[in-house]
Amino acid sequence: MTLLLENISLTIGDVLLVKSFTITIEAGEIVTLMGPSGSGKSSLLAYIAGDLSPPMYGNGHVTLDGVDLIYVPAERRQVGRLFQDDLLFPHLTVGENLLFGVGRGSLKKRQHLVAEALASAQLDGLENRMPESLSNGQRSRVALFRALMAKPQAMLLDEPFSKLDAELRHTIRNYVFAHLRERNIPTLLVTHDREDAPAGGRIFRINNKGELLLA
Amino acid sequence: MKFSKRELFKAAGAAALLPLFPKAGFAGDWAALEAQAKGQTVYFNAWAGSEPINTYIAWVAEQVKARYGVTLEHVKIADAAEVVRRVRDEVKAGKAEGSADLVWINGENFRAMKAEKLLFGPFADELPNFKYVDTEGKPTTLVDFAEATDGLESPWGMAQFTFFGDGSKISEPPRSMDELVVFAKSNPGRVTYPAPPDFHGTTFVKQALYESITDRSFLRLPAKDDEFPRLAAPFFDLLDSLHPHLWRAGQQFPQSQAQLKQMLADGELLMALTFNPNEPANLVASGEMPASTVAWQHRAGTIGNTHFVAIPINSKAAAGAQVVANFLLSPEAQGRKAELKIWGDPTVLATAKLSADEARFFGTSVVPGSVTDPAPALPEPHGSWVPLLETAWLESYGT
Amino acid sequence: MRAWLNSFAAFLPLGVLWLGPLLAGLLAVLYGALDGEAWLTLFEHPQLWPALALSLGTGTLSLIISAVLAFWIVAGLYGGKLWADSSSLMGGFLSLPHLAFALGLGFLITPSGFIARVIGSIAGWPVPPQWVTTQDPYGLSLITVLVLKEVPFLIWLIGAQLARPDVSQMLKGHFRVSQSLGHGGASVWLRVFIPQIVPRLKWPLLIVWFYGASVVDVALAIGPTQPPPLSVIIWSDLNNADPAFNARGTAGALFLTAALIGLALVWMVLKKIFLPSIWKFFTRGPSRRRTPTITSGLLLLFFCAVYAMVFAVLCVMSIGTLWPYPNLFPTEVRWTAWQQFVMSPAPLLNSLSLAFASTLAALGLAVFWLETVPEKLDAALLVFAIVAIALPSLLVADGQYLAFLRLGLNGTWVGVFLAHLTQVFAYVFIVLKGPYRAFDPRYRAVSLGLNADPLRFWSTVKLGMMKPALAAAAAVGVGVSIAQYVPTQLIASGRLTTLPVEAVTLASGGSRPLMAVFALMLAVVPAIAFLVAARFGRKPL
Repeated sequence: MTLLLENISLTIGDVLLVKSFTITIEAGEIVTLMGPSGSGKSSLLAYIAGDLSPPMYGNGHVTLDGVDLIYVPAERRQVGRLFQDDLLFPHLTVGENLLFGVGRGSLKKRQHLVAEALASAQLDGLENRMPESLSNGQRSRVALFRALMAKPQAMLLDEPFSKLDAELRHTIRNYVFAHLRERNIPTLLVTHDREDAPAGGRIFRINNKGELLLA
Repeated sequence: MKFSKRELFKAAGAAALLPLFPKAGFAGDWAALEAQAKGQTVYFNAWAGSEPINTYIAWVAEQVKARYGVTLEHVKIADAAEVVRRVRDEVKAGKAEGSADLVWINGENFRAMKAEKLLFGPFADELPNFKYVDTEGKPTTLVDFAEATDGLESPWGMAQFTFFGDGSKISEPPRSMDELVVFAKSNPGRVTYPAPPDFHGTTFVKQALYESITDRSFLRLPAKDDEFPRLAAPFFDLLDSLHPHLWRAGQQFPQSQAQLKQMLADGELLMALTFNPNEPANLVASGEMPASTVAWQHRAGTIGNTHFVAIPINSKAAAGAQVVANFLLSPEAQGRKAELKIWGDPTVLATAKLSADEARFFGTSVVPGSVTDPAPALPEPHGSWVPLLETAWLESYGT
Repeated sequence: MRAWLNSFAAFLPLGVLWLGPLLAGLLAVLYGALDGEAWLTLFEHPQLWPALALSLGTGTLSLIISAVLAFWIVAGLYGGKLWADSSSLMGGFLSLPHLAFALGLGFLITPSGFIARVIGSIAGWPVPPQWVTTQDPYGLSLITVLVLKEVPFLIWLIGAQLARPDVSQMLKGHFRVSQSLGHGGASVWLRVFIPQIVPRLKWPLLIVWFYGASVVDVALAIGPTQPPPLSVIIWSDLNNADPAFNARGTAGALFLTAALIGLALVWMVLKKIFLPSIWKFFTRGPSRRRTPTITSGLLLLFFCAVYAMVFAVLCVMSIGTLWPYPNLFPTEVRWTAWQQFVMSPAPLLNSLSLAFASTLAALGLAVFWLETVPEKLDAALLVFAIVAIALPSLLVADGQYLAFLRLGLNGTWVGVFLAHLTQVFAYVFIVLKGPYRAFDPRYRAVSLGLNADPLRFWSTVKLGMMKPALAAAAAVGVGVSIAQYVPTQLIASGRLTTLPVEAVTLASGGSRPLMAVFALMLAVVPAIAFLVAARFGRKPL
């Protein structure tokens, strides 16, 4: 599972926000993208996910495992996303949240999947709880597993740790990276915080001219 | 829509000639009308504030459906003025089909519709059952508030201004305005009447005018603005002497006769008033007033009138409406209507002149709440007195 | 480009079904105002100025008292154990329409009413006292009914504001800071919180104000009579047989509206000039006064008691045909009123069909707009919505009657439906807009990332999350439609009748049991709607 970003650029109106760049992200690799606010990092992620809306426009090819996604609608790209907020669906239980991205199957199979995920996340028995009753750390883990259970072929992380307090941040960060690497999912991480970047991983920066350069 | 014989009828002039109208030719036309009426739906706009009346109208609907194939829809309204307004607006807007085919009406509303040519007809005198109407003994069946009906409305029932109260609390009901003032003095805050321009309030005020004016013949004539203050002076004296002893010292008045009735039933007032002399008996029968209720009229007479049904000019079911109006005049319908247990509305027919077979529908019952000593009916003053009275009342007592 | 096309598409049904009838009504009424004669006769009416003073006075006083009481209760109860229950309780209160409440309360407080009888049986009064309660000349009973109805409404609205996370966050913060500075809870409310919340509520407060000053059916039931409030005079003119009176009625409606708008403008000016200094005077220095928990609790209890008594009284009234002073229970009990009601289901069926249709249509139109039109255009729609609600229904409905006459819509179900929709859509949109626009768009991104197509996202996630707001909007819509009296009466032209029209029509005949039956039925339908809404949303809005 390789994620190839080929000649990607972003424009807003007539202005070129992000100049054309090409990056290949290998399976299990976590690439970090940094840059000042408003430089278009989140919009880049949206473009890759297939979800970019006007007034922003994107150009370039996104290829996942050899398949050009240009005509593939966002919901079929199998590109998972995590955001700053866990965005768990508040009206669904933890179990229902987890199963949201999972296709059809027998009730038994689905229950099994949920139990398995909860066990991995050390959240056993919480399948019928509502998200609002969980702690921040618990919610982050549920959000991660919700994304993982949809069997993504690539992951886009939009500052998912910035709302966690320092200690939790460290724990969750490593937790997320471990699970992504284990499943060989190519990941693009956007962050403000240098500390978030995984050790040894490539880091790119967008400068104020809109150029994406390896740091 | 109009019969060719209308010209002949108009030439005849006085309504007293009606019984001479040849029946043979008439019957022929009437059958054609009935045939035309079959299958029509007649929207009867009638005041619906009383369940006995609504039930009676429902009975009429059943009958005309079964006998003539006419569907009668009772359109419940709170005030006939609504209908006048609607018909006028519809005619002005050129609407093809009117919302009302038959309307329960009298007095100023009739006068307005007649003057603005909003009525179909004349038709009333040509109804087969019109022959039963007591036009001599009940002259108000032809003259509505001093306005000639000209056959534009068909009589339906009689009304007479009547007072009522709990007999166990009133030993001697006051039987004139002067006696009423005395009664109010000894029972301060327990007597009142609805404020004009409510229909009943206006009638109370007219009654007061009748009993206080020095020369009653003026009332038959149109009122004159410049003469009004002089003629009405004793009337204002009467009200001025009455008001301080009324409910809330005459500073506030109930808005409707319905409210008045309720206050009587609750015990806040000692007496109320009505236009249907049999309403008190009705109320006793329906359990809304105690069995000790008594009803009375002023010795020298109280205002009485007739109420009618008329057909708006833009009705599309005029044939059906006429058939219904005719049925309403039948001895059977009139008799049932007069029965105290049903509605108790006095009949417009000359019962004395009915054959035994026709008269069987009329019973004579004296029940708790009926008027024991009826007084003569005084004719309504000319309609033009009403706005003057109402405005003057509002100015003097309404603020 | 696509955005504009979308907006146009959203606009079309909205324009035809809602904006069109609204504007047609306003234009028709303005056209009618060109009648100079009508204005002359209006100013010659002997009761004009006292009636206007009554209308403005009762409307203004009821607003002020309601606002003070509402804030008092909220300040005392917020955050406490009762708060969560109170909010849904308010829904229950709101469902009893003004008219029904007035009829029930009327019987409680008239000189021969229930309260007098209770006192009378203790004090030994043989005849009813000579109290001046209902229909008192200063409109105090009218104000009482208005206050008793508006306070729950305002509490509900304030609660909605407080439920917003940004607002509750701010309040908690302010409490902490102020407490450290020596302020008691009441002080925080008075100095910090109320000044911030009131501007957010300015439109609902305006609507409450204008409603109180222009209401017809409640004024008829319990307001002063000589002179009556101006709205009653206008109503009787509009229903008069004489066209000159009708024209005077139209002029009167415009006059009342202009007076209200004028008063609102005066208030705005006065507020700018005087409020800062008055406020400073009231809030000098920290005050140790705590939040008024006990008094709020008592007030709330009082409200509950009154509503319970009114409801109970209506139930007994519906079967008691003869109930004279000083009996505490009716002497005659008959079920005839209920029988009569069951035998003619038309009013109930019409009310229900109109309520469902107008609410569904309103929800559909509102959601369609909110989904397709960018948020910045909302303000334009909001202006019209507020105009539709704030203007006295006397004015709008009169105009629609005149306009529909040309279109042949009078006397038809469709015509009445459109008239209802005018009010219902405005309320539904106002209620729905906030929560809908506050919906976090990232949920969509999350769903798409979880293999859900846009349709599944919309139906499972968005609608699912919007359910409480939709349910609340629906309940409000149903309540508004059921209570419509003036527009229905005018436009139905007698061809169809609904619960309130029938109630007032029957009131002209004075059958108290039947009136009580209708009042109860008027309350049942919205009550059910509010209960359903409360089930759907654990949190109000």
